Amino acid sequence: MSEHDESRTPVALSGLAANDPHLQPAARNPQLVERVIAMCFLVGIILVIGFGACYWVNAKPWTLGATMGGGLFFLGVGLVAWGKYLMPRGPFVEERHTLANSESDRNAFAAAIVERGGTVIKRRKMLGGLLGGGLGIFGVVAIFPLIRSLGPLPKSTLFHTDWRPGSFAVDITGRRVHKGDLAVGSIVTVYPEGFQDTDNGQAVDQTVLIRISNQDFTTQKGRESWGPAGYIAYSKLCTHLGCPVGLYEQQLQLLVCPCHQSMFNATNGAVPNFGPAPRPLPQLPLYIDADGYIRAQKDYGQPVGPGFWERS
Amino acid sequence: MSSEVINTKRAKQAAAGPYGKVGHALNELDDRLGVAKGGRTFLDKIFPDHWSFMLGEIALYSFVVLLATGVFLTLYYIPSTALTTYHGSYLPLDGQRVTEAYASSVNLSFAVRAGLLMRQMHHWACDIFIGAIVVHMARVFFTGAFRKPRELNWTIGTTLMILAIVNGFLGYSLPDDLVSGTGIRIAYSIILSIPVVGSYLGFLVFGGNFPGTMVIPRFFILHVLIVPALILGLVGAHLFLLVRQKHTQFPGKGRTENNVVGTPMFPVFMAKTTGFLLIVAGVTALLGAFAQINPIWQFGPYEASRISYAVQPDWYMGFLDGALRIWPSWSFHSFGYTIPLEVTVPAVILPGILFNIAYVWPAFERKLTKDFAMHNLLDRPSNRPKRTAAGVAVLALLSMLFIASSTDVIANFFHLPLNQVLWGMRILVILSPFVAYPVTWKICQELRVVEGGGKRKTTNVVTRTAEGEYVATAAPVYVDDVHSELEASEVPTFIVDETDKETGPGTRTVDR
Amino acid sequence: MITTSLKRVGMLTIAGLLLAAPLTFFVAGAGAQGRVVYQTTRKNAGTPNSTNVTTNSSGVVISYGNSAITYNAPSPKLASLGQALFLQNCASCHGTEANGVPANGTSGAYPNLVGLGPATIDFWIESGRMPAADPRAIQAKRRPPRLSSKQAVAIAAWVNSLSPSYPDIPTPNLKNANVSDGAALFALNCAACHTIEGDGDALAQGTYAPSLRNIPAYQVVEAIRTGPGNMPRFTGNLSDFQVRDIVKYVTTEIQHPQNIGGLGLGGLGPVAEGFVGLLLGVGILALVGFWVGERQ
Repeated sequence: MSEHDESRTPVALSGLAANDPHLQPAARNPQLVERVIAMCFLVGIILVIGFGACYWVNAKPWTLGATMGGGLFFLGVGLVAWGKYLMPRGPFVEERHTLANSESDRNAFAAAIVERGGTVIKRRKMLGGLLGGGLGIFGVVAIFPLIRSLGPLPKSTLFHTDWRPGSFAVDITGRRVHKGDLAVGSIVTVYPEGFQDTDNGQAVDQTVLIRISNQDFTTQKGRESWGPAGYIAYSKLCTHLGCPVGLYEQQLQLLVCPCHQSMFNATNGAVPNFGPAPRPLPQLPLYIDADGYIRAQKDYGQPVGPGFWERS
Repeated sequence: MSSEVINTKRAKQAAAGPYGKVGHALNELDDRLGVAKGGRTFLDKIFPDHWSFMLGEIALYSFVVLLATGVFLTLYYIPSTALTTYHGSYLPLDGQRVTEAYASSVNLSFAVRAGLLMRQMHHWACDIFIGAIVVHMARVFFTGAFRKPRELNWTIGTTLMILAIVNGFLGYSLPDDLVSGTGIRIAYSIILSIPVVGSYLGFLVFGGNFPGTMVIPRFFILHVLIVPALILGLVGAHLFLLVRQKHTQFPGKGRTENNVVGTPMFPVFMAKTTGFLLIVAGVTALLGAFAQINPIWQFGPYEASRISYAVQPDWYMGFLDGALRIWPSWSFHSFGYTIPLEVTVPAVILPGILFNIAYVWPAFERKLTKDFAMHNLLDRPSNRPKRTAAGVAVLALLSMLFIASSTDVIANFFHLPLNQVLWGMRILVILSPFVAYPVTWKICQELRVVEGGGKRKTTNVVTRTAEGEYVATAAPVYVDDVHSELEASEVPTFIVDETDKETGPGTRTVDR
Repeated sequence: MITTSLKRVGMLTIAGLLLAAPLTFFVAGAGAQGRVVYQTTRKNAGTPNSTNVTTNSSGVVISYGNSAITYNAPSPKLASLGQALFLQNCASCHGTEANGVPANGTSGAYPNLVGLGPATIDFWIESGRMPAADPRAIQAKRRPPRLSSKQAVAIAAWVNSLSPSYPDIPTPNLKNANVSDGAALFALNCAACHTIEGDGDALAQGTYAPSLRNIPAYQVVEAIRTGPGNMPRFTGNLSDFQVRDIVKYVTTEIQHPQNIGGLGLGGLGPVAEGFVGLLLGVGILALVGFWVGERQ
């Protein structure tokens, strides 16, 4: 550095003397602060090296984070302290020049746009219209490949599930549920046979099968034959936002949605009695075949899950 | 060393000018780009450094951490819903059929060195990022920094907040674990609830009915490319406007509408702000080291028929979840069509209203106060009781909605019936803005009449007058509080002064 | 005198049965002719349909099960001790006949225990829920048990002697359990109430799903097989092997979660994370900013 002293022209300050308080460090005891900052940097360096070492030996995640975080933290604290206590303390002032230009400059700018543009376009109105029309039409036409290709149209997919007349109710492993399987107060999630491993089966067809009694059970008028041997089935999709209503309180005979705590009364057709869900869970009509297996009479007959515009 | 060598060296130095190699390089740069003058101005730029101006820096630097850790994560994450069998070091998942997205998220946590730390840092940085944005936005709002000429920057900032929340949700969804999958399911249902176009929109976004196979790859490209690019661009615009319009400042000694008082960009502000960047990264890494976040291995993979109780979204989505919980089950059916108001109102219309209030506020306030002047000096919040009260009312409403998102946790913790907690929250949410507004307004009024209130280190002395009235007056300024006593000075200019050449070795040149 | 009181007991029993609706259906079939079997087709679901049934000289089932779970009937020899304990600790509510009709005749308020199976009785006593601290509470709380394990089995033996039924007291063998299958089954069947971290949460009308953090393996089996309180029963819908896998997952990963990323934050998930992120993260950084910046 000694060459510098000779080659660089020493400088002075305009307006401020070199010993001006604005240029003094803010610290009352700069030597002490310098030592503290040096300690911060040293600790930071050690920790950063430690980070490298921890990474090298593949140490536990917390050691990696502790060394890296601690290292960066101490380096940062040192640097801030350097700036805050050892650099010129200020305060300094800067003029704020108005951003707005002079009246004539503004007028020239506006005139350039309005007059140049105006004369050109006014003279060739038809060309401007054609160009605008062309670009506009392209914009509209481009929406189709850009947006329409993203996915299929809903059509009627939201209105039915994979439950068919005679579908066996199977559990997640694909095992058919037999009428003797469940005790009163039991619940199992079932799917139409063949769909338990499909996305749609999981997301749309999922159904809770509850044994609510050991005799035929009627939840609502007109559903007399839907609950053979006390087995009743409801769509597992909450009518609020489609979360799985997998929470059954067997004494209260309530189905509760874990997401927003809508509660459905299992005994009277899953009519909601609390929470934000607006509609009952659709009930799946069941029957028990000659071999004793639980099967669906037909599909739900209404859309399952949350509400949407086309749903009546 | 021979004198010849020294001469050559001196000649070189002379050719390079008085500032050595750095000076030479700068000259070369200036020859081509003409940066010297503008660069000098930039280095002299004054930044007011009130502590509350650091809140925006927290947001900026946690975004830097997000970019750095996010790049690391993209190297290992596989955005695919194809099924695979997990065979890794976490035994409770061994042999389960999971999506590639989930398997790769678990693997990058356990099989990649420092992977878990990076994932946790990324998630913590996100929580801090959005938190800092909200706090920064509150600071800007309460001090009136959004007023003319800064309305455009307020608009950009509001957009940034929305984009940050959106990107947070997208990223939260990517691991495809049980909790995030439930979140995606709810998002799908919310899209479905939009009148007329909902089902079409849902099918287009998800590439078919939920869950489909497209949502993870699409969320991925949105999360790592499209939204971050927008955020980056808008952050650039945000900072450009900040530099162009110069920072606001609180009123105080020597501070006027026409100047900026503070520290120069180089070196003081540069040192402080770089140090602060390191501190933000450091704190994020420490959180990532010691506080576990989103343990997806414990949640297990998402399957549409699995569900866990007490599932909440990340905190910044909490107000939506709370609104969905407490809004009553009013669905609208007519002419064979349904408007699922129980979803549309709290999840679409409510955030729409809230964000739009933020957007139109500067124009609204201008219209209301008929104040069209330029403002570079900030307001003390207590001097603007109505604005402050309105802001606190909105914050109170949002906080109550956030608390409402954990009605079940509150009920469990305090052993209260769920139904009562829900009703309690409904009442509190509705009451909160109406209580917060007058209370804040009154506090502001009280603070305004306290002389010297809100100023630093001034103690109020309460004296009893002869009439028995109590009067608060500011105590004298502390004697050793020298810093605030200095008048601000111009940033000094260094000028070449030949007469000082004789000072010789030992003279300390001031490095600026 | 005796006939009137018997009549009254009978009437009150009927009233009690009607009020305790879900239990009524189950209990209705209980009779003296033999043990109540609540499922028929699925092997190994808590009843002696499987192989490995051990009977004593008089043909009474004393144990059954398989390599996953063994169910042991409480020894009938303990019945007399059990009756004494029952009269001392339980009869004030459940009645001297264990039929839910206390001596003062307020029927219907307390469950009939006849025909519930030894595992049910054992679970309620050994989990400390019975004898109840507050009999009028909506839901009995898990507490340190007041009676010893042997005393609980003795009471179960006596109640079972009134009307023998299943399931018997289980002993799971977790040696060959598949913790991964257990995790999947837990997510599908248990997490909806107990949460995926096993912390439990508030349910409808003041009830709650308890935390699973501190429950011995055999009690997990008992709870799954008998469905205490509002918990659904898992009978033919889960095999003994599946139950064993779940129990393994609960007693290892749920009770000793692998918090590889640091402090578990109480398993509360995003709510706790949000508070930590805002208070610790933004809070600390704002404090640092308070130091970095000027206060004027």
